[in-house]
Amino acid sequence: MARQEEEPKQSPRDPKVRARESSDPVKVVSNGTSGDSSMFSPRFKSVAAMAGWDEESLLIASLVVDDTPERQVKYKKRSDLHFKTPPTNSSRRKRRAQRRSPISMSVSVLNLDDDEETKKDESGKEKEEPQIIVNKEKETRDDKMAESSGVSCPPSSNLPCLDKLRDELSCAICLEICFEPSTTPCGHSFCKKCLRSAADKCGKRCPKCRQLMSHSRSCTVNTVLWNTIQLLFPQEVEARKAAGALNSSGEAVRQIPEKAFYNTRSVQSRRASSGVSSNREMTMRRRRVILSQDEEDDDAALAIRLVQNTEAEHQNPEQGAYNNHRSIRPLRASSYRAMTSRATSQDGDAALALRLQREEFMEAFRVNHGQSGSSLSLARANLRAMTSRVTSHRATTRHL
Amino acid sequence: MTKPAGSLAGMLTMTKPSAGSLASRSTWVSTTSVSSSGKRIQREMVELNLDPPPGCCAGPKGDNLYNWVATIIGPPGTPYQGGIYFLDITFPCDYPFKPPKVVFKTRIYHCNVDSAGNVSLEILKDSWSPALTITKVLQALQSIFTKPDPYNPLVPGIAHLYLQDEAKHAELAAEWTLRFAK
Repeated sequence: MARQEEEPKQSPRDPKVRARESSDPVKVVSNGTSGDSSMFSPRFKSVAAMAGWDEESLLIASLVVDDTPERQVKYKKRSDLHFKTPPTNSSRRKRRAQRRSPISMSVSVLNLDDDEETKKDESGKEKEEPQIIVNKEKETRDDKMAESSGVSCPPSSNLPCLDKLRDELSCAICLEICFEPSTTPCGHSFCKKCLRSAADKCGKRCPKCRQLMSHSRSCTVNTVLWNTIQLLFPQEVEARKAAGALNSSGEAVRQIPEKAFYNTRSVQSRRASSGVSSNREMTMRRRRVILSQDEEDDDAALAIRLVQNTEAEHQNPEQGAYNNHRSIRPLRASSYRAMTSRATSQDGDAALALRLQREEFMEAFRVNHGQSGSSLSLARANLRAMTSRVTSHRATTRHL
Repeated sequence: MTKPAGSLAGMLTMTKPSAGSLASRSTWVSTTSVSSSGKRIQREMVELNLDPPPGCCAGPKGDNLYNWVATIIGPPGTPYQGGIYFLDITFPCDYPFKPPKVVFKTRIYHCNVDSAGNVSLEILKDSWSPALTITKVLQALQSIFTKPDPYNPLVPGIAHLYLQDEAKHAELAAEWTLRFAK
């Protein structure tokens, strides 16, 4: 019975996975518009893995995957944080269409070469994740930037005035296209980094007009200008991002997954030590919130909430039994992924994650629809079986 | 015929070691700043080659990006007219944030340039700005050819003469030009 049910349930999932795979090349290239896009995929994947337990969110997720991506999610994220308006599907589609068309032409050749860069960006971005989770305010700022980064497609590079624009939009300090331009009170714009070092090394005067700059407040990115630059010179921006990633994040990236892993761990233990009475209600409410807002939710926040769920359920398995089998696995899975991503090659990691995800999907569905709402002992048994499987998974992959 | 080739080889062997020593010196400086200054210098070089300001040119001396040689042609209508002035430009490792060092290699009779070739130019000292480029520096140098600044002199005697008796000053400058810069 459960088996039979599993089949049709699984089918909507597979296309989703496939859709994700197929959309990957596009992601790699749309990377041209902004580096943020690349970072999205792993986060999205992990979130999908986490939220994937219920059909509803899955369908929503597949919709999201289908017509668009990171930025959209970020946009949603923001709207969720500030004003709870649902995103409009139609505009999203339009944007998607706009963005895709010019890009897809040049895709196939660049694909392989860019892959590395994207991965690098991804891992670079992973570093941000813990911070984002901790600091909501920062997150919203990041979001604004991220959102700004990919508003629409890069235009064709044969604008007649492009050379003049290049001159106009280049930073007087590094002489390259402004990267994250920051504007002084006197109205001159430079790369944020350049301006900061200029202020450090040459005094707090505008490099162009020598007007006194009021302290470091000027080190905020001029979003409009930054958008414009990203739209006009996607290649330059991308090259610069890649260079930045190569230069700086090489070391840091290595340590991040580990850190993230320990973070979740410590949170978990802290939570476990303090008993919360109304856990069940909280969990259920959270669950509902997640379900309903899933689409609009910041995936990082979602992840952390799920993790919290798991903790809560750890404390009282009887109450949270229903949810248990859903969230424990993802927690394990994410930490496991974090560990392996450090060790194994990136491609292998991706493949592995995918495989794991599929298995999780299957499992979750079997459990969900086979016995949801049934006796506690059964659920507990399932849970135990799953955790043991995950650990064995981890063991085998470690060997790899 | 063989002599120029020999001297050229000599020059090459002369420049090589200095370039090497500078490169090794720059290794202990933080790599990011070096590379960013290198990038910027490279970019300036390209721009200078594409669109050189009239009457001057500049470029790296050997394979070291941080050591340049520049030439400025004495602007017409000045006592320096027709002279060709060589300058050494040395970029610091944190270049756009610190001014380049400019030294005249050719003797010149000028109140802002001393006998060692040092130049007193405000933008090469306190009022340097990272937004300035070598092109602008060269233009500024050209401007002191046409209009010396006797109020911030490096050689007070010449400045004094320039203020007291400009004709005499011009005569001497032209003589020096003829003697050293042609």
